[in-house]
Order: sequence, then structure tokens, then C-alpha cells
Amino acid sequence: MSTLVGTTPAVAVRRVNRHRVGRLVADVFTYLGLAVTLVFFLGPFAWILTTSLKGNNDFFAFPPVWIPSDPSLAHYVGLFTRASGLRYFLNSLTISSMSMVAALLVSLPTAYAIARWRFGGSVFGTFLLVLRMLPAIALIIPVYLMYKTLGLTNSYLGLVILYTVVYIPFAVWLLVGFLRDFPVEIEEAAMIDGCSRLGSLVRVVVPIIAPGMAVVALFSFIATWNEFLFAVVLTGIETKTMMVLVTTYTSGGTDMFYGEASASVVLGVLPAFAVAFMLQRYLVKGLALGGTKG
Amino acid sequence: MRQLRFLAVMLVLIAVVAAGVMPVQAPAQGAKPYEGTTIRAVVNAEYVKYSLSLVEKDLYDKLGIKLDVEVIPLDAFVPKTLLEFNSGSSPWDLIMFGPSNMPDYGRHFEPLEAWTQKLKLDFQLDDIADVYKKLMLRHNGKLVSMPYDGDVHMLFWNKVAYERPDNKKKFKDKYKYDLQPPKTWKQWDDASEFFHGWGWDGTDNKLFGAGASYKPSGSGYSYHWWRSRFFSYGGQYFDADMKPLINTAPALRALEEMVRTMPYYPPGVLLFESEEPKTMLVKGEIPLLYSWTSTGKRVGDARESVIVGKAGFGLVPGAEIDGKIIHRPAITPGRAMAVSKYSKKIEPTMKVLEFISLPDQSLKIVMDPKTIMDPWRVTHFRSEKFRKAFPGAPEYLDAIEKSFPLVVPDPVIPGADEYQRKLSFEITEALAKRKPAKEALDSAAREWDKITDRRGRDKQKAAWGEKMAEMKAIGIEYHPDWAAKAK
Repeated sequence: MSTLVGTTPAVAVRRVNRHRVGRLVADVFTYLGLAVTLVFFLGPFAWILTTSLKGNNDFFAFPPVWIPSDPSLAHYVGLFTRASGLRYFLNSLTISSMSMVAALLVSLPTAYAIARWRFGGSVFGTFLLVLRMLPAIALIIPVYLMYKTLGLTNSYLGLVILYTVVYIPFAVWLLVGFLRDFPVEIEEAAMIDGCSRLGSLVRVVVPIIAPGMAVVALFSFIATWNEFLFAVVLTGIETKTMMVLVTTYTSGGTDMFYGEASASVVLGVLPAFAVAFMLQRYLVKGLALGGTKG
Repeated sequence: MRQLRFLAVMLVLIAVVAAGVMPVQAPAQGAKPYEGTTIRAVVNAEYVKYSLSLVEKDLYDKLGIKLDVEVIPLDAFVPKTLLEFNSGSSPWDLIMFGPSNMPDYGRHFEPLEAWTQKLKLDFQLDDIADVYKKLMLRHNGKLVSMPYDGDVHMLFWNKVAYERPDNKKKFKDKYKYDLQPPKTWKQWDDASEFFHGWGWDGTDNKLFGAGASYKPSGSGYSYHWWRSRFFSYGGQYFDADMKPLINTAPALRALEEMVRTMPYYPPGVLLFESEEPKTMLVKGEIPLLYSWTSTGKRVGDARESVIVGKAGFGLVPGAEIDGKIIHRPAITPGRAMAVSKYSKKIEPTMKVLEFISLPDQSLKIVMDPKTIMDPWRVTHFRSEKFRKAFPGAPEYLDAIEKSFPLVVPDPVIPGADEYQRKLSFEITEALAKRKPAKEALDSAAREWDKITDRRGRDKQKAAWGEKMAEMKAIGIEYHPDWAAKAK
């Protein structure tokens, strides 16, 4: 401001204009950069999406067909009928939803115990995370043998238990951060007003830490939906998941099934995308709060 | 009274005799003997599942059997299925597998011969290409499987590239011999260099010299592509003491030639699996490709191919040794079907195996352009229906029939999949110029030694001894001197 004092109005206007032009140029470059980035990241997905709607003749057309003139859902129908896609889609939906609920139900009381009563001492929360550091490939043979003995292979229950156990450490670690940050006085006030410990947890704490729980839910759902290794080894015809189906198309040559392969990828991505979209406002808030306070 | 008693006894006797001599009533025509039975099958790709769908209706109409087919992704197929089998059970009745993995799978399969007699099955073995019959279908001397996919490599070329007078003249000026579809690796390499980077089809497009699949995934594309050169230069997998021979002179020559000619292949060839170069061939972007015989069905499919009627078919190139060309097309490794010995439905599964192997049923599978199943029965090669399927089909089928007696199989010993993956990885390392060819092959040989030691050297040596004798019987032996004299 001081620099403007003593300058003529014309010079000041020129400076303001120059500043405006500078901002405009910066904005243009920013948006251009964003557009290029979007094309780079979303381009392949857009291509897959349009391929899933194309007729067989358009796959090899030159110049390439970017937008099909006669879009059709035939490949989706083929995927659902011929390739048992509906069965696998519903399997993924069921297993992911159940794992999500189970992860929430188990991790909340665990995190609460750690946050409020220092359960397991100061290192327990960190120790839980160590479990996440064990690669799945190291566990797969013993888990398979154990599951085979217990009759848990090719069952929803087996997969839900496994995914819940695998995702709990991260969920607990995240929720502990939220709960430690949550003022104990509010809980105590609720209990003075007649709430039990469980009542105050459910009625007072949960609504306030909902963003954190949304993050846990989203993480569990997407991780389960995308999981491949346990799914391919522990499932059978009845319980195979969508990610395994996608890989059956994309590993080892697709031949003439480009359309169905693309449709399987679109359907493989869509639910996780939908859940992320629904929970995004909680997600940003949750990660910003919980992630910095662990 | 006595007469009445006599009459009654006689009537009973007549009834008993009549019942004894009367034939048992046969099932009514059109009855489905296994109605209500569902057989669980496992395969390694969606297109294989699709191929089974081509015979499912007839199977149900004839036998009343339905198929429930599980698909396990290719890269996970061997570990997952062996994990199930080695735990002493299997959720599947009918198994698709790669015959090169027979030593690992064979003990889990039900031998076919006893059931052949019991159920009067006819697998028509005389109609099966010899190499399959001798090397791929048996375990410990017992027949345990039937072919499902021929899986042999052959040569394809775009006639436009070879017949344009301008191309012929340019080629002769540069290489001092006539332009013709390659019979030797030298001719292949010259042609790929010659055609690369310009419009050999008469357009201004910058086209490529040749196609290949060099990705090291699955049991190893780059290894399959290297194998034909290696064996035609006199190579062999191991010596009689299980010492790897994959880093000897034939191996090195084969790999160095592949590395040297890398610039003439399309960018991305190191990531190509089976279908990418086939697509480039049928779109007219490459003049040359050796690949699976199923490529021919795409070549002849007018819905996608621009070279229908303009394609040539022949043997994978070889090496000229003392005036004779040695061709060694790869069988890679084929697909076969077997019955799990843990199945609770062995009888109907045997009937299914017989049914899908019948000449007319298997022909439907190998003829369909949407499957990548290759012909394997002699009647497939000679089928009138197949020979009329697209322009050039007779030449295509003749070339396949000529290729079969020359094929070189995978190392069919325990751990075959592991050996091949390690070798393929190292070959691609050399092709990507991350390692010199010799270093890559030495590294692969060390890895092979480790696998052999881990699995038990004596056990592996015994298994290899049998296979080496079988390979010798079809004319495949180690000739270290060929690498130097091959033209």
C-alpha cells in the first residue's frame, strides 16, 4: 500500500492491470495444467468406458472411434449372463459391505479402550500397525491351510473374517486419533445426565467422530473391493469376486472379448468410486483431523 | 388238484425262464443318462470358458450334464490349482492344465484307460497329432488327459509386403538375394530390418519390421519366442546330469540376435502378450509374425482383418545346418483336460471329457475365431468345413499339420512353470538391455540350478532323463556345434 502512496493514479492503474493480467495468465496455466492432468489420469478410464459401449467393429477402427456412434450395453449383458458377472458383482458387494460393517464394529470399541484407558500401554496402538506391515503373500499359504481345515474356503464368512482382521489395525489407529482428541468432559457430562458408558459412546461420541468412521468405512470397503490375492486363493465358483473376474479378462490375452473386458473394468471401479463420492465430504474432514492426531 | 399244482409250477417256471432270456429294456431314445448332474470345471481364461459354452448345449442334449466353469486368472492358475490339489482335495471335477506341468499335476488325475474299458469310451487317439500323444498326455506311462488346445507356433506374413515389385527390387539391391517369406532366422532378421520404418504397403505410413510377444509373464512369452531359435541352433534344456545348457553357444546366439533386432519391432514389444502383435498383423501394421496357430482365425476374420486373402502361412523359420533347414516351432505348452481323482463324479466327468474331445465337438471349439484354441486333431487339419472357413484356410491348415512333427516341447519336468518364468524374466532383461545377453543367460542358469537343488537333484535328473529320451526319439538333441555353423 505504501508503494502506491506518492504514485500517480495512471501508474497505479497500470500496476493493478498488470497484476490482473498476471493472475489471469497464472489462472490459465493452472487450469491448463489441471486439464492436462485430468486427461492424463482420466483418459485411459474414458477409453475403457467408451470401449465397453462400442460394437466389435469399432475396437480396431482407424482412425480410432472415441465416442461410439451406436452405444450399446451388449457387453455388460454378456458379462452378466455368459461370464457370471452378476454373481461376482453381488459377491463383491456383499463381502465388501460385511467387511466394512465388521471393521467398524470391532475397531470402534478397541480404539475406545486404547484411547480412554490406555489399553495395552503406550505401544499397543503402534504395535497393531505392525500387523499391517506383514505382506499378504507371506500369509497366504498358512491362511489357506488353516481355512481348508476349518472349512472356511469358498465362503463369505471366511473372507469377511480375514478382511476384518487385516483392516482393523489401520481402522483402530485412525479412530484412536479421533477419540484422543475428543473432549472427555462431554462424555462425562453425558454420563452425569444418566447415560451409560456405552450410551455415551453411541449417542454422543459416534455422531461427533462420524468423519473418522466414514474414513474407516470407506477404507475397508475399497480395500476389500480391490483385494485380489486372498480373493483368488480362498474363493471358489460361488464366492469369486469382481476383481478376480477383471483379472481373468486382463491376464493372458483378451482375444475378441475387449468389450466384456472393458465392461468388467468399469464395473470393477464403479462401486468403489460411488462409495468414495458419497463419503467424500467426511473423507476430507476425517483424514485432515484423524490423520494428524494419531 | 395234482394237475392244478403241476400247471401252477409250470407257469412259474415259464415265467422265470422268460424273464431270464428277455433282454433288459434299453433306455428310451433321447433319454439323458446323467440328467441333473453338474460338472465343475476349472480353466485359466474367459475365452476358454467361452469355448466350452460352444459345446454345452449338445452336451446337455446328449448326456443331460451341465457345466459350471470356474475361471482362475492365468498368472495365478498353476499356484492356486496345485495348492488345492496338494492339500489332498479339489473342488473341481474337470481340470484344464498346461501339459508341460504334467509332472506336478499328473498324480492328481484319474487314469483314463480303466474307464475307457468300463464305459466303452472312445477318445480316438489315432486321430491325435503324434507329439501330443507321445509327450503330453501321459503320467508315469498312464494316459491321464486329452488335448484341448494345440498351442503350436507358426509363421504368418502379409503378402502385400512380399509381392510389391518395388519392395522386391529394393530388397534384392540391399541384401543380394530375392525377397521371400523367411525360411531361416537370417532371412527373418533381414526382412524385419528391411521393412521397418516405412510404408511397405505402398502408403506413407511408418510401419514396423516384424511382431513378437516379449513380455515375461505367465510361463513366459519371451522365452517361447527365444526357444525356436535356441533349438534350431542345436540347443537343449539340460545335459544328462541336469546341468543347464541355456547359457551355451546356441542360447547366446539366439538371444544376441533377438537383442540386435529389437529396433525393428514395435515400441512396447516388451509388454506384448499374445494378442497385441496379432492385432497389428491383422491391421496390416507388421508384415511378419510367428505366433500361435489361432492367429490364422483372426487373419481370416473379415470383421477385423484387413489381410483376409492376403496372408501367407508357413513354418516358423529355422537354421540352415549342412544344407538342411532345421525348424523348431514351439508348443507352448498346449492345453489339456483331465479328470480329478478327488472328484465324486468321475464317471460323468469321463463322459464329458470324451464328449468335448470328439472330432466334431472339438472342431467347433478350434474353429471359432473368438476362442484362441488351436487345432490338434488330424481331422481338424483336414476338415472340409474348416478348409472352407476363410480364404487361405487350406494353406493355413496344411502349415499347421506340417509344423506338428517338428515342435519342441517345454521342459516337461517337475517345476516346469518355475524354470520357464525364471528364464523368461532373464531373456526380457537382456532384450530390455538391462543386462548383456551372456550375463542374463548365466543368471538364468544359476536360477535353474537353484530350482533343481531345491526340488531334489536326483529326482529331477530321473524325470529329465525320461523326457530327454522322449525328445531324442522325436529328433531333438543337443548340438553345440550348430550355433557356429548355422546359416
